[in-house]
Amino acid sequence: MSADLAFASVTDLVRMIARKEVSPVEVVRVHLDRIAARDGTLRAYITVCEEAALGAARDAEHALVAGRTVGPLHGVPIALKDLYDTAGVPTTGGSKILAGRVPDADATVVRRLREAGAIVLGKLHMVEFAYGPEGFNAHHGAPRNPWDAAAERMPGGSSSGSGVAVAAGLAPAALGSDTGGSIRIPASLCGITGLKPTYGRVSRAGVLPLAWSMDHVGPMTRTVADAALLLRVMAGYDPADASTSVLPVPDYNAALSGDIKGLRVGLLRAFFLESATVEVREAVERAAQTLQRAGAIVDEVALPAVAHVAAASYAVVASEALAYHTGWLRARPGDYDPEVRKRLQLGAFVTGAHYVRGQQVRALVRNEVDAALARRDVLLAPATPLTAPRLDERQTTLGDGPSDVRSALIRLTRPFNFSGHPACAVPCGLSTQGLPIGMQLVGRPFDEATVLRAADAYQRLGDWHTRRPVLA
Amino acid sequence: MDEVFGVEALRQAARVAGFAWTDAELQTLRPGVEASLRLLATLDALPLEAIEPTTQYRIL
Repeated sequence: MSADLAFASVTDLVRMIARKEVSPVEVVRVHLDRIAARDGTLRAYITVCEEAALGAARDAEHALVAGRTVGPLHGVPIALKDLYDTAGVPTTGGSKILAGRVPDADATVVRRLREAGAIVLGKLHMVEFAYGPEGFNAHHGAPRNPWDAAAERMPGGSSSGSGVAVAAGLAPAALGSDTGGSIRIPASLCGITGLKPTYGRVSRAGVLPLAWSMDHVGPMTRTVADAALLLRVMAGYDPADASTSVLPVPDYNAALSGDIKGLRVGLLRAFFLESATVEVREAVERAAQTLQRAGAIVDEVALPAVAHVAAASYAVVASEALAYHTGWLRARPGDYDPEVRKRLQLGAFVTGAHYVRGQQVRALVRNEVDAALARRDVLLAPATPLTAPRLDERQTTLGDGPSDVRSALIRLTRPFNFSGHPACAVPCGLSTQGLPIGMQLVGRPFDEATVLRAADAYQRLGDWHTRRPVLA
Repeated sequence: MDEVFGVEALRQAARVAGFAWTDAELQTLRPGVEASLRLLATLDALPLEAIEPTTQYRIL
C-alpha cells in the first residue's frame, strides 16, 4: 500500500481522499517516510517541512470529517523547487547567497495551490539560481538520477530535485521553472511529464528570477492529466506579475478527451530530430507513428530561424541574469558556485546592441513558430537530443556531430522559451541502457488545452509514463 | 571574430560594466569571453535591419 500510494497519481489521490478511502495524513506520512528512507542517497530535497506538512494534513482530514467544502487538490502533497517563496520556510534558490532567507509570504502560485488544498512537503534541490541544465550544485551536490542504479547519471536541471522527487515517488507532483528547458530537461532525463506553459499564463510573482523575459513556471508530474489539474489551479492573471494574461483559464482536464482524430502534428526534423541520437530519434518517430495510427495527421515542418537561438538567447539570458546578480557579484563573489559565477560574469561582455539583436531574432523565431502552427495544432520534437549523460561527461556526440553536454541538453527546449509557446515533455521510450527518452509537444500561445490533449492521448496509447525506476 | 583579447582589454571592458576582477579571474574568463563573442558575432551577420525587436511578450 505504501509503494502504491507513493506512486499514485495526483488525480487518483484527489479521488481517494475525497471518498475517504485514504487519509491526507496517511498520504503525507507515506511520502515523508519515503523521503527519510531514500533522500539521503537521491538528494532531491533541500528542506523537508515535516511538521508543517503533517499539521496541514491533519487539518485537511478534519475538514473532510466535518464535511466542509474542499478544493480540487485537497490533501494532496506537492514539493517546490527552492526558488518559490514560501512563508516561514527558507527559500534560497539553491544558493549560499540566500542561505537563511525566509520569505514573509508565499509566491502567488504557492498560495493558489494551498488554497486549492495542496500540502507542501518541502523545497527541492536545484542548480544555483537556476543557471545550468545538468543538475549540479556546488553547495548541495548533485541529486541522483533514480534511473541509474550506479548513481552516475545527471538528473538534468535546473529543476533537478523536482525531476528526481517525482520520478522516485518522493512527491506526487512538483513545481519547476523553465528559462531554457529547466522543467522539460529533468522531465526528459528522469522519465516524467513536465509542462512549460505559455509566457504569461502563470504568475511568477514570488519566484526568484533567472531571466525575466524567458522565465516560465509550471508543474512536473507523472501524468499529463495531473499536469492539467495543477495548471488550472496555478494559471491566471495576477496583479503582482505584469506579464500575466487576463485570458480566462479553461478546464484543462475537460479537454483530455483522448480523441486526436484529425489533429495536425508537425514533426520537427531539421535541427530537432536530426540532432538527436539514433535511439532518441527512433523513439520520437515511433511516437509520431502512434499518434498517426490514432488519427492524427502528421507532416514535417522546419523552423530555420532556430539555428540562431543559441546566440540570440545567450545575449538575452546573460544580460538579464547579470542585471539581477550585479550587486551580489560585486559584494559576495566568493559565495557563488564557481561555474555559476563564471556564467554570470560573462554577461558583462555582452553589449546592449547584442541584447537588442537577440530580441530581433526572437521576433523572427516567434513569427516562424506561429506560422508553423497556423496550419498545425501541435509540433513534435525530442525534448532532449540524448538520454541522461554521465555526471563527469562534458562532451558528447549528437546526430549531427560533437557537442558539449551543456549545449546539447538545452538545444531543443530553449527555442520555445525564446518564442514563449507552451510545450509539454512526456516520456516516449527507454534506451538500451534503460534510461528515459523524452519528447515535447509544442502548441499555440495560450492553447495549453490542445498540447495537453495531444500529450494525454499519447499517454493513453502507451505506457512509458507508467514505468518506474528500480531504486537501489 | 578571430581576435584574441588580452587580460588588459578584458579588465577595461569589465570596468566599463562596473566590475574590478583580478587578473586571475580575467584569465579564467578569457576562453569563455572569446567563445561568447564568437557566438554573438553570428548575430552581427544576420539581416535584421527590418525587424523590430520583441518588446512585448504577447500579453493579452
